[in-house]
Amino acid sequence: MSEASKTVLDSDSADSSMLLVDKHVEYIQSLDKRQDEIEYWMTEHLRISGIYWGLVALSLMNKQEGLDKEKVIEYVLSCQNSDGGFGGHTNHDSHLLYTMSAVQILVMFDELERVDADKVVGYVLSLQDPVTGEVSGDSWGEKDTRFAFISLAILSFFGSIDKINVDGVVKYVQGSMNYDGGFGSEPGGESHSAQVFTCLAALAIARKLELVDRERLSRWLAERQLKSGGLNGRPQKLEDVCYSWWVLSSLKILDRVHWVDCSRLCEFILSAQDTVGGGIADRPGDMADVYHTCFGIAGLSLAGYKGFPLVHVDPVYCMPVSVVERAGLRGWIDYIPDSWKD
Amino acid sequence: MHGRRRELIREPTVDEKAQAKQRVEKYCALNTQVMELRARKEHSEDALAATKRLLELNTELHTVWNYRREIFAHLEAWRVTEKKKAMLEQELEFLLEIIMKNIKSYWMWNHRTWVLCQLPSPSWDRELKLVAKLLAIDARNFHGWDYRRFVVSKIREASVDPAAVDRSEFLFTTEQINRDCANHSAWHNRSKLLPAILEELTEEKRQEVIGKEVDLILNAIYTDPDDQNAWLYHEWLLDVQTGADAKCALLRNKVAAIREFLELEEDSKRPLIELVDAFIAMDDLKSGQVSDSEKKECFYVLNKLKDIDSYHIGKYADTESTLQRRWTEQP
Repeated sequence: MSEASKTVLDSDSADSSMLLVDKHVEYIQSLDKRQDEIEYWMTEHLRISGIYWGLVALSLMNKQEGLDKEKVIEYVLSCQNSDGGFGGHTNHDSHLLYTMSAVQILVMFDELERVDADKVVGYVLSLQDPVTGEVSGDSWGEKDTRFAFISLAILSFFGSIDKINVDGVVKYVQGSMNYDGGFGSEPGGESHSAQVFTCLAALAIARKLELVDRERLSRWLAERQLKSGGLNGRPQKLEDVCYSWWVLSSLKILDRVHWVDCSRLCEFILSAQDTVGGGIADRPGDMADVYHTCFGIAGLSLAGYKGFPLVHVDPVYCMPVSVVERAGLRGWIDYIPDSWKD
Repeated sequence: MHGRRRELIREPTVDEKAQAKQRVEKYCALNTQVMELRARKEHSEDALAATKRLLELNTELHTVWNYRREIFAHLEAWRVTEKKKAMLEQELEFLLEIIMKNIKSYWMWNHRTWVLCQLPSPSWDRELKLVAKLLAIDARNFHGWDYRRFVVSKIREASVDPAAVDRSEFLFTTEQINRDCANHSAWHNRSKLLPAILEELTEEKRQEVIGKEVDLILNAIYTDPDDQNAWLYHEWLLDVQTGADAKCALLRNKVAAIREFLELEEDSKRPLIELVDAFIAMDDLKSGQVSDSEKKECFYVLNKLKDIDSYHIGKYADTESTLQRRWTEQP
């Protein structure tokens, strides 16, 4: 690092051992004003997810008013296509990934009735293979366990879970389970913490958590913590703040959060904050982005960070618990297998 | 924005600012152009060329990949078999160029799959060579392995002897593991292939193969005892093995190997964890398998683990209380 740039970094720099709430709020608010940066345009195709990540981060810090609700909703509605799905941006093609973000934003603002439920539900249902029960990400047919989770989650928001072949979805998820207890992106795919989250969350919504090998999977997940306190996604990979969410939410569903050292994890997440411009990066010293800001803060919430009264987050839906309760969707907790209760 | 260092960011010079502005303008102009063409449902060679220019700048635009496929289907040349084939081959070349730049784009792999499935007789062998090259560069790449499994499934579909395809894939994982026994992706693939291979064998041959698996595992464990993977694979091999006695024999074997390690290094975390787990597994299989002194040893080891691996105190405490309930509070 050159001396000059060091000065830029150090001036106005804050204490990274605390969650820099004000800086993160400012950072998230600034994201829509960075139109002179190429990244702003290069990430246009997933803007709706960007807003969801920003909104979750703000909500967990109890700063949801940091985003202009009406403006956001208007934008979200502009992303819906005639097939009922949502694109990542206005005039972009529908995809389950972005439909999920759109629905989550509307649920968080308690404005889900602003969309035609039948159309969204119809879109999701159109993506399930009637024979195998597999769910595609869009009409082009890409299969992935992420879409198994997303389809169930979206339908649950609309109270329409009984309209999909749940057993088919569950079978697909179950087929993606591996010798280490983890789950891959498809049957045959290698275990990866982010896919583990999507599969556990899908099984939680489907009330089928008993299919999980809790012992083996918990042991695999616990080993994702590295010396730095951070978590990785697969063995022998680098730690990354986003796995603070994927791994810890999985452990939370398994009721095993205490199997990792949460205070060291909090320290790691905090050390990845940009103490000047706000936001959280994948690792200390890297550029911050809204994705890692969201999952860093969500991770802190699950890890029980004590430096700030963060809002509790639901490990299945990645939204404040109060929102999930309001939507009547916390019931998954009642279906945790008896054998998991110590 | 994975892995971009913050320290490289400093106040840009006037020139750099102008360059950045130009870059933004160029990208936005092209993006707008393509989106307008799409809105007009224009399906021409020119539109195809514009999407290519845009995708070279940003591979993540799934809408543009979709548009590109729509254009292909509308072109007149698409209806002429030879011309269609040539276009698809060109598309594969284009994809190869950009895959080499950014292997991690889901959309690109989807598009490649689509292109190949449009060909009357795609060369899956060529794809297998391509993916072998990619895995030689990055042996753990997620997309690479997913794609390999897809390609192999296609080869298998067309093969007169699918079992031979499985055996050859199995050999590929052996090679990868021999090169680097910490290649979890290879171990994983192996676990998906082994059951079908064992199914074809007589009981005697079956035991021989399982024995060889144990050797491979032990070799990995001797190379890096701290790596959890080979141990997990061993545990999974227990699921594959049939009969409580045979399973217990595998576990006794494992305990013997652990004892050897602990003689060299008594505070080695992973072998200590595995020692306790092996005793628990034996106890699960058959009561009376674990002696009182071994049970005592488990509690001693768990205490020791709390000291050497403070990150996982919660886990060891849970195991301890489970074992206490199971072993010391028996009626």
